[in-house]
Amino acid sequence: MTRSRTAIVVVLVALFVVVGGVLIYANQSHGGQNVTINLTVTGASKMTPDNPSAHLNDEVTINIKSDTTGEVHLHGYDIPFDCTAGQVTSYTFKADKSGQFEIEWESTSTHLGFLVVS
Amino acid sequence: MAPAAIFLHGFGPRYDLPIAEWLYLYGAGGVVALSFVLVVVFGGDKVGTKAIEYPRRAVPSLIGFANSPWPRVVGGIVGVLSLAVVVVAGFFGSTRPELNPAEYFTWIFFWAATVILSGIVGNLWYLLNPWAALFDVISRAAPVRAARKLPDVGVWPATFFYLAFVCLELTSGMANRPWIVAIAAVVYSLVTLAGMAVFGRDEWLEHCEAFTVLFGIIGRFAPWEVERDASGRATMVYLRPWGVGLLQPYPAGWDRVVFVILMLSSLAFDGILATPAWQDFDIALEPIWLPMGSLGFFFVRTLGLLLLSVSFLLVFVAIMQLVIYFGSRKVELKTTVTAFALTLVPIALVYNAAHNYSYVLVQSQNILPLLNDPLGRGWHLFPSLAGFQPSFALAQAATVWYAQVILIVLGHVIAVYLSHLRAGERFRTAQRALLSQYPMLVLMIGYTMVSLSILAAPTTTGG
Repeated sequence: MTRSRTAIVVVLVALFVVVGGVLIYANQSHGGQNVTINLTVTGASKMTPDNPSAHLNDEVTINIKSDTTGEVHLHGYDIPFDCTAGQVTSYTFKADKSGQFEIEWESTSTHLGFLVVS
Repeated sequence: MAPAAIFLHGFGPRYDLPIAEWLYLYGAGGVVALSFVLVVVFGGDKVGTKAIEYPRRAVPSLIGFANSPWPRVVGGIVGVLSLAVVVVAGFFGSTRPELNPAEYFTWIFFWAATVILSGIVGNLWYLLNPWAALFDVISRAAPVRAARKLPDVGVWPATFFYLAFVCLELTSGMANRPWIVAIAAVVYSLVTLAGMAVFGRDEWLEHCEAFTVLFGIIGRFAPWEVERDASGRATMVYLRPWGVGLLQPYPAGWDRVVFVILMLSSLAFDGILATPAWQDFDIALEPIWLPMGSLGFFFVRTLGLLLLSVSFLLVFVAIMQLVIYFGSRKVELKTTVTAFALTLVPIALVYNAAHNYSYVLVQSQNILPLLNDPLGRGWHLFPSLAGFQPSFALAQAATVWYAQVILIVLGHVIAVYLSHLRAGERFRTAQRALLSQYPMLVLMIGYTMVSLSILAAPTTTGG
């Protein structure tokens, strides 16, 4: 008796696990677009917009214009943008990791925002 | 905001995306639906000690392993070397946490990974405990006899040290300073070694050493069970389903209840720190903590942790009163509360695994490039590792979410099932046992929903 009851629970849990997997797979973004993100950094402390986003596997180009000379660092992807005051610094990469990746003013570890790859 | 505030669980940025809303609803719906199925299907059919009997399989081939001194010798060496890494790298390595192995060993390999692994495979701390290993070596060379008898303190000292460790991790704002971690390791090592020398090795470990008590509880979740004779020799090793070991007899006491609740609340607090709700609390209390200067950060976080722990405890005790009321039997509150407290452990463990999933799988890899120059002195010990980039293969958002939701739901199912068996053992009739489980079910669904909602909450820079 107990054995068949356990079987019911095991089957239901397994069903839940499988349906969850199918749902997640079906809802996954397939990306693959070319995305350009223009960011402006002011005073080595503020970035607009502060929450740029892209999809997994997008080809992302980030252009950063800063009014201060210094490094803006995209963590996770580990990309340094060596900015010169008033000029645009660009970098193109494939968004092959999903998550939220912090963007910092490197020398002072000041948080500027997140790049969200979903 | 202080730079320290952007670090989570000790150190290191967090890459996880909050769980998508539809998946959160799916997980939450699954939790509620499976809970009711469990209650209906296992509608209190056994009472008394029969209710908590569980299947286990004898594995005689492992008796030799259980009696061999080698696992403890190897584990002890690994434990002592790891402690040495924390102390040496902490004092002499880089001051940047992400470049200091002491931070990785403390917060990822010990605090996150050893806890998760101990739940899956068994109490690893029993093998790794560096202080037990050091003490054994010292006492072999020069036998130490306990000078005093430890007073009847239960596990209150261990609870205190556990709270202190959690405060170091989450509320001090200093967990990302390697030299502070090293000082804490040295101080705790001295206290533990002195305690063992004065009060006796096992007495101190079982009542005062926070991690021995913690891993003792986690080890009960694991699928191994060793039967020993009076002299301590293993006579049989058993394989059992995960979780059921939590139904074994456990000393009753409020100290142990508080310890288990602290396990739950500290984990939840770690997650809450990254949510907008915490930001609001933090900002609301600014008039109080801002004038305190650097102490303000510690104050507001410790206050948050203590308030959350006390709320968890009060809710748990209130629910237990209801459980006993519906069970309608005169039982001692303390014994019953302790017995049921352990059934919450699966919820804490799976939340820990879900919360630390990508931390353990991704951030841990950053130790590899550090091996080239562990103390930040410009060495080139392993130049080929210097440029290593962590792989995200097992930590893409979809995989992380899936693992998180499945873990949370599995833990919940195990907890509800254990609690149900426990009720059968505690209360006289199957109907009473079943009735007593409704308040417990509400509590467990509540805890699980808290876990899920933290994982789904938008992350702020506060975490």
